[in-house]
Amino acid sequence: MVQVINLTKRYGQHIAVDNVSFTVDKGEILGFLGPNGAGKTTTMNIITGYLSATEGSVKVDGFDILEEPEEVKKRIGYMPEFPPLYMDMTVQEYLNFVSDIKKIDRKTRARNLDRIMDMIKIGDVRKRLIKNLSKGYKQRVGLAQALIGAPQVLILDEPTVGLDPKQIIEIRNLIKELGKEHTIILSSHILPEVSAVCERVLIINKGKIVASDTPENLSRRLGDTGRLSIRVAGPEKQVLKLIGGLAGVKSVESTGAREPGTVDILVEAEKDIDVRRPVFYALSRAEYPILHMKPIDLTLEEIFLQVTTQEREVS
Amino acid sequence: MLAVLRRELRAYFLSPTGYIFMGFFLLLSGFFFTYSNLFQANPSYLGVLGSITFIFLIVVPILTMRLMSEESRQKTDQLLLTSPLSVTGIVLGKYFAAVGVFLITLLITCLYPIILSFFGTIAVWEIIGGYIGFFLLGSAFISIGLFVSSLTDNQVIAAVVTFSALLFIWIMDWVLSGLPTDRVSGIVFACMLVAGVAALVYFSIRNIYVCAAVALVGLGIVAALYFTNEFFFDGLIVRSLEWFSLLKRYDNFSMGILSLSPIVYYISFSSIFVFLTVRMIEKRRWS
Ligand SMILES: Nc1ncnc2c1ncn2[C@@H]1O[C@H](COP(=O)(O)OP(=O)(O)O)[C@@H](O)[C@H]1O
Ligand SMILES: [Mg+2]
Repeated sequence: MVQVINLTKRYGQHIAVDNVSFTVDKGEILGFLGPNGAGKTTTMNIITGYLSATEGSVKVDGFDILEEPEEVKKRIGYMPEFPPLYMDMTVQEYLNFVSDIKKIDRKTRARNLDRIMDMIKIGDVRKRLIKNLSKGYKQRVGLAQALIGAPQVLILDEPTVGLDPKQIIEIRNLIKELGKEHTIILSSHILPEVSAVCERVLIINKGKIVASDTPENLSRRLGDTGRLSIRVAGPEKQVLKLIGGLAGVKSVESTGAREPGTVDILVEAEKDIDVRRPVFYALSRAEYPILHMKPIDLTLEEIFLQVTTQEREVS
Repeated sequence: MLAVLRRELRAYFLSPTGYIFMGFFLLLSGFFFTYSNLFQANPSYLGVLGSITFIFLIVVPILTMRLMSEESRQKTDQLLLTSPLSVTGIVLGKYFAAVGVFLITLLITCLYPIILSFFGTIAVWEIIGGYIGFFLLGSAFISIGLFVSSLTDNQVIAAVVTFSALLFIWIMDWVLSGLPTDRVSGIVFACMLVAGVAALVYFSIRNIYVCAAVALVGLGIVAALYFTNEFFFDGLIVRSLEWFSLLKRYDNFSMGILSLSPIVYYISFSSIFVFLTVRMIEKRRWS
């Protein structure tokens, strides 16, 4: 459905997108994961025809964005990072205007808009001025705008950024729902977010694609950090000495005492060794009760570090 | 295009901009009309139109400052440029909206000659001709404002730069009389033009070889012109800059003469600036 071939975008000397290629199949929900400045927005702006690539090409449904931009744009609904809203219009006026510029037939328009407003749940604010809406509602109007004209492909740039947790869940469910009828490319800088809705994830860093996999495989590959955070009721020195002497423990350090009479420690295990059981037995034998023990998730930076080093090891 | 035009017209009258423009224009033109026609019992209305052209200096920046700049500031240009509309359609919609507000205002001022006609006969056709010229002159200024607003996403900067550009056009005739007209200065000017174009090429594609090629070809043309028709360079500076002298071409209309060449000139002037605006927006996508 969407083919991106050797896409490169340079701003002067700075390379924002570096020779990126991928395809998205019809009906797929693809997640675009990367930290800020990775080149997600730039790539999306190029696919939608807002920016032009320095090199490479984009094809949507077989049409090239440079050669037949109109055909491509008809097939894409785009929700940019900042919803492109006219603050001086009401929601209804705005959606009518978008229908106008997308050349939607006037006869079917009212019905289509009603359906979209129903689905996105913005019917009750249709008469309100956009500038008076809350951030969550603005985001939804931005999404409604992208849905006008029933485009086959939806491109959503960080659709949940700046929303509160309840709104995030609503928008995610909405995206899953939309995924039944549309091909979706969605960007995010939060791993759980793409895992929650996407069937496939592309990880992009510094303009390059560093991994492409299903969310399950990625979390399997990345889930095991080998690091544990443990709170022990016992004296710091002895605990550190005890754990440090265990086989398979690479390092251990104290991160301070949060409760009186306890110590929080960070344990790092050797590669591919599970030290949870030995740690438990050692501490219980010494009668230092474990108050909690939890694995430490990778931060996004570590994910990129890990993915990039893994890729390097493979190649 | 029509959708953009409609939205833009609405925006003019939902914000103070449209009213400020109309109010200012009607106030000043009304003042001049009252002063020179009514008080002095002078039936010549064309004189009023001729003397109020300076209003453009103030009202055109108000009318055009937010046209393109506000779109890029609010990021709504992303909506327009990723819709199936062509850039030309978008820009024309905006241009015609601004021209439309101007036209509506101008139609209201038609009341003045109608008032005059109660006191005696007026030269109807001459006044219509004068209005056509006045409208085209204003539209040409608006096209400059449109172009300037595509250069920045800051309305205030757009307004100030537009004002300066219009001011420059105003004082041009006066500046022109002081410029050298001899052959050497013409050649120097031509070479500077070539250098300017080459620099522009360099900054847009950053390729020194293409830039050098452009400069060489340009200098070649200058040299060829010099050897085939050296008189070409006499007064070249003045002739080139005169092209921008919008006001001079209004003189005919002011005298009640309706001729084709200034009409064609104004329309081409506006078209060129609309075209430049389109190019500017396209170029941003490539940068
Ligand atoms: N208009 C621009 N001019 C120069 N550099 C830009 C421009 N837009 C983006 N960049 C740079 O390109 C890189 C990618 O940006 P972006 O695509 O916005 O990343 P993301 O959306 O993943 O956060 C960043 O390093 C950013 O600084
Ligand atoms: Mg971004």
